[in-house]
Amino acid sequence: MQSEIAIRCRGLSKAFQLYARRIDQLKQMLFGSFHRFYREYWVLRDVDLDIARGESVGIIGRNGAGKTTLLRLLCGITDPTCGELSVLGRIAPILALGASFDAELTGRQNVMIGGAILGLRRSEILRRVPSIADFAAIGQFLDQPVRLYSTGMRARLAFAICANADADIIIVDEALSVGDATFQRKCWAFMESFRRHGTLILVGHDMTHLRRMCDRLIWIDGGGIRASGGVEEIIALYERASEAGDDTGRFYFETDVGRIAVNAERR
Amino acid sequence: MLTPLDHRSRELTPNNSVAANLAWLAQPLSTAWHYRELIVAVLRRELVSRFSGSAFGWLWAISGPIITLAIYTVTFTRAVRLPVASAQGTASDYALQIFVGLMVFGLVTELCCRAPLLLHEHSWLLKSSIFPSEVFAWIAVFRALTFAGVSLLVLLTFQLALTGALLSSLLLLPFIVIPFTLYLLGVVWFLAALGAFTRDLSYLMASFVPLMMVVTPVFYRINDLPQSLRLFVYLNPLSIVIEMARALILGTETFSLLAWSAFCAVSLLVFRAGHAVFAHYRGIALDAI
Repeated sequence: MQSEIAIRCRGLSKAFQLYARRIDQLKQMLFGSFHRFYREYWVLRDVDLDIARGESVGIIGRNGAGKTTLLRLLCGITDPTCGELSVLGRIAPILALGASFDAELTGRQNVMIGGAILGLRRSEILRRVPSIADFAAIGQFLDQPVRLYSTGMRARLAFAICANADADIIIVDEALSVGDATFQRKCWAFMESFRRHGTLILVGHDMTHLRRMCDRLIWIDGGGIRASGGVEEIIALYERASEAGDDTGRFYFETDVGRIAVNAERR
Repeated sequence: MLTPLDHRSRELTPNNSVAANLAWLAQPLSTAWHYRELIVAVLRRELVSRFSGSAFGWLWAISGPIITLAIYTVTFTRAVRLPVASAQGTASDYALQIFVGLMVFGLVTELCCRAPLLLHEHSWLLKSSIFPSEVFAWIAVFRALTFAGVSLLVLLTFQLALTGALLSSLLLLPFIVIPFTLYLLGVVWFLAALGAFTRDLSYLMASFVPLMMVVTPVFYRINDLPQSLRLFVYLNPLSIVIEMARALILGTETFSLLAWSAFCAVSLLVFRAGHAVFAHYRGIALDAI
């Protein structure tokens, strides 16, 4: 069922409200319908995006282009300011690995809560604890408080939870750089096998991995989709633009695999 | 099934039929049911860590209410006697009355002081995972209800020891607890949404709550008051809860079906309005914390 749409965005936009003073925020809440007390900063503007079920999509772009905001919108961590978004299936976001752990609880207790956040039942999580422990390979530390963990160990455990969550959609945000080489290999192997049946969205700067994992790339620039299409075309375009220092423009390319069509309409 | 994430647009669609209105009213309930496993998982963890982190564990939950009760009873029956009719009875009767009042009031105090900081307290979780923020209100309310339940058990033990019997009307207690839970949820949602924008709210609550105690019939009964003041106390939904709880647990008041119906209506309203406010401000609240 390759054609079924897993993620669909129409005019998806996100503005952060910038306040000069903290009190303005309260004023906005109370009297917002009469007067606006903030300046808007549009991080994302009018993103139209369809991702089919089973597709692997890579997202590239400069720092601050809006990649992470897009991911957070897709996961539902933040609400869009306007636009439509529908997501079909269970999402496991691998964003800031281990940041959501409660440092006082043990790894095992965090697994219970982390699994519940991803929508697993208690019995399902209990059944999966051995395979999570196996994937994370942190040994005795599973029953120690997370505050004793190193960053790498947190990342291992967090990834192991997501890998065992039976998700339909996995969203990965350059998160694997904290793990050591062995663990990274394990993660890539998992994603390689996951993309055969699930939808994978990968944000990254490492072109080797993007080439290996993705069917399609999306280039986010200046809060919008600048180009989307086949992996090699987009990488070529992106690298050319990076060298020329011209990747903050807001014009729009639409490329199909094998053909580049330039949409001349400026936004 | 495609699930629209834009809650606002869904809520603004006009509902005409009764069924649609009921569905609108119950929408927060269905969300909570959807996340029940998560609520239970976090609640279990919070309760366990609350008690296993301290040396005496559950003893604190039990000794807390007992000590409070002992101090208030001694103060108000030996040291100062309030010039109200209910304080003229035996010390143990009056103590039980105070206990019921304190139990309800303590529940509300804990939630009112905690609710404005609820989203701040969990900001790391909200910012780094797909944790549904409205679930925190359920967890906070159930947690507070658990402590109140422990107090109730202490109370019933005392009552059994003092009078040798419990009232059968105790079985009707869920009819108060359920609307009261909805009421508390509404209040917590409202305070949590407002508290996300300004920390002043929690300071305000800290000074407001002790005042509440005076205008809530904790140390007296509504019947002790002059007729002219009763109406004001009735405007405070807590008074009604305390009076109803006393009626069912101690049998010192008469249970008013009218007051109960009014309270149910108010609870439903507060519940739904609180959730609507929370849902409306959730998006920008999460950006603000």
